[in-house]
Amino acid sequence: MAIQNVGSSIQPLDTSLLLRLYEQMETIRQFEEQAGKEFAAGKIPGFVHLYAGEEAVAVGVCAHLTDEDFITSHHRGHGHCIAKGVDIREMVAELLGREAGSCRGKGGSMHIADVHKGMLGANGIVGGGYPLAVGAGLTARANGKGQVAVCFFGDGASNQGTFHEGLNLAGIWKLPVVFVAENNGYAETTPVTYHMSCRDIADRAAGYGMPGITVDGLDVLAVYEAAGEAIVRARRGEGPSLVECKTYRYYGHFEGDTTTYRTKDELAFYRGRDPILGLRRFMVDRTLATEQDLDAINQRVQERIADAWQFAEASPLPAPEETLTDVYVKYP
Amino acid sequence: MSLPLVGIIANPASGRDIRRLVAHGTVFDNNEKTAIVRRVLLGLEAVGIRRVAYMPEHDFGILPRALSELHGHSLQLEAFPLEMPVLGTSADSTRAAQLLAELEAGCIITLGGDGTNRVVAKGCGTVPLVPISTGTNNVFPTFLEGTVAGIAAGLVARGCVGKGTLQRAPRLEVLVNGVPIDSALVDVVISEQPFVGTRAIWDLSTVREVVLSRVAPATIGLSALGGALLNTTADTNEHTGMHIVLGNGGREVMAALAPGLIKWVQVRESRSLLVDASVQFRPGAGTVALDGEREIELTMNSVVEVRLCADGPFVVNVPAALEEAARAGHFQR
Repeated sequence: MAIQNVGSSIQPLDTSLLLRLYEQMETIRQFEEQAGKEFAAGKIPGFVHLYAGEEAVAVGVCAHLTDEDFITSHHRGHGHCIAKGVDIREMVAELLGREAGSCRGKGGSMHIADVHKGMLGANGIVGGGYPLAVGAGLTARANGKGQVAVCFFGDGASNQGTFHEGLNLAGIWKLPVVFVAENNGYAETTPVTYHMSCRDIADRAAGYGMPGITVDGLDVLAVYEAAGEAIVRARRGEGPSLVECKTYRYYGHFEGDTTTYRTKDELAFYRGRDPILGLRRFMVDRTLATEQDLDAINQRVQERIADAWQFAEASPLPAPEETLTDVYVKYP
Repeated sequence: MSLPLVGIIANPASGRDIRRLVAHGTVFDNNEKTAIVRRVLLGLEAVGIRRVAYMPEHDFGILPRALSELHGHSLQLEAFPLEMPVLGTSADSTRAAQLLAELEAGCIITLGGDGTNRVVAKGCGTVPLVPISTGTNNVFPTFLEGTVAGIAAGLVARGCVGKGTLQRAPRLEVLVNGVPIDSALVDVVISEQPFVGTRAIWDLSTVREVVLSRVAPATIGLSALGGALLNTTADTNEHTGMHIVLGNGGREVMAALAPGLIKWVQVRESRSLLVDASVQFRPGAGTVALDGEREIELTMNSVVEVRLCADGPFVVNVPAALEEAARAGHFQR
């Protein structure tokens, strides 16, 4: 069954696309849950910041992008990588610091990148993505091929100085950049009610001469619709926009965070609005898919995740003499 | 007898939906809403209101912020939050309105758009509203200066002006499979879009039929369609609605569907709708949008009925109320 167009100009949401959105969200969820287990078992060096709960944002946005488009990410970047098509085998290898990793094992969780997929990098610097996305937007405009750049950032990062610099520059140059705020309610452990002088990050867009909207980031269909319009607008040359997705992370700021700053009731409330279960219900209720169809997808994802871990664990660590290779760009 | 009470329901979520992207909707940020409420409070204080109850919200606090910056004004007015759980959804506005009705508030001031007032109207009973527009499509609320809104609401709550300054708005009751589900103040739209998504309706290619509670050309949104269909013999009686079927084979009319979004729309047929008349639909999968926002997801076999009712909320005619108060000498000493 085909579903009617959403909006005026974005790709229709048909059953195959809905199933793809579901599979991507499920892949992110299982990837993160496995990463959490492996981190607790001491297998992953450094930190991991899990994206579970926020899947609808990355998937709903990246569904409109191709490998020719760019994204910039942040410390909680696994979901963006998966949604943009980065190979999950290489991602796991990168988490483990192995040679087969997407950055040859030298980046780790917070620096996964794959420029061939337009994934310009997760980023350990809070607010570090804005200038990169604006630069990518400038490239996109210079190329003249209708590319766009998407900058994912969190509510805490919206208070950084680079937010002002990046959005201002994108605003005055009318660059094809979509700034996607993932407002999960907390900057590390500090609630937005304390750290922001406004309630909605979208309010700040007006100061840069661009539209700002707020959308339910737990509803992949709402994100798809809103991001689609913003991306089409950018491709048409109408400039940047800010899409704020209200979302929630199921785990702590980092693995090991005891989350004493939020209540169990709050977590239960958001778990009750789970984005993956929401899409599952939507499809089953409308007979677009059966429970068995979706269970089969879950099983397939589970096998892919297991395969990715096997692959990564079989990969060697980089040789010590390669410490400085692939680290610095060589200019002619 | 207790002092007159005025309620304030300021929706922190209004004015930032997708119509900023696909049309040219105004962003109403919460700092501006706070400034409006501050002026409302000063207006209320000036006409002798000493009790104000407001809807609490956990994520911004429009009222507490407005009050915190009025310390230099030595207010005699006391404002307190309603005792209610805060869910962070539209249900909060309905619950706040119910509580204000139970507390026998003399007037409720709302800040929001048609959507906000729709959910307030579900709970306010016969308490009159002064709706200040801070939303996107604003047929029900109007652009009112907060100071003036506060003065008018205060005069109504104190009984300084007569009931002749109140107007009862119509509403559209929505029944699904015979069960009343919800209601709208301005329009009900049957859309082919099967999911609520970003809620707003702006693309009429997915809209099949529209039911209006009022026909008014000087409005924005789907209600503008009705205005465009007015002919020389029709009147704009507020209790006459309209049922419009979109599609080829009829007239083409120009309507302002959203801020800055003006379209020519094919209308296959239309007919006026009298109070207590209803329209029935068997739309198959789709959604029902209330006052411009998709709210109800339908299954294939849903039967939807929309009935025009005269018993909507009472609304203060602010110019009339202020004129009556002026003539009665309330602004002189």
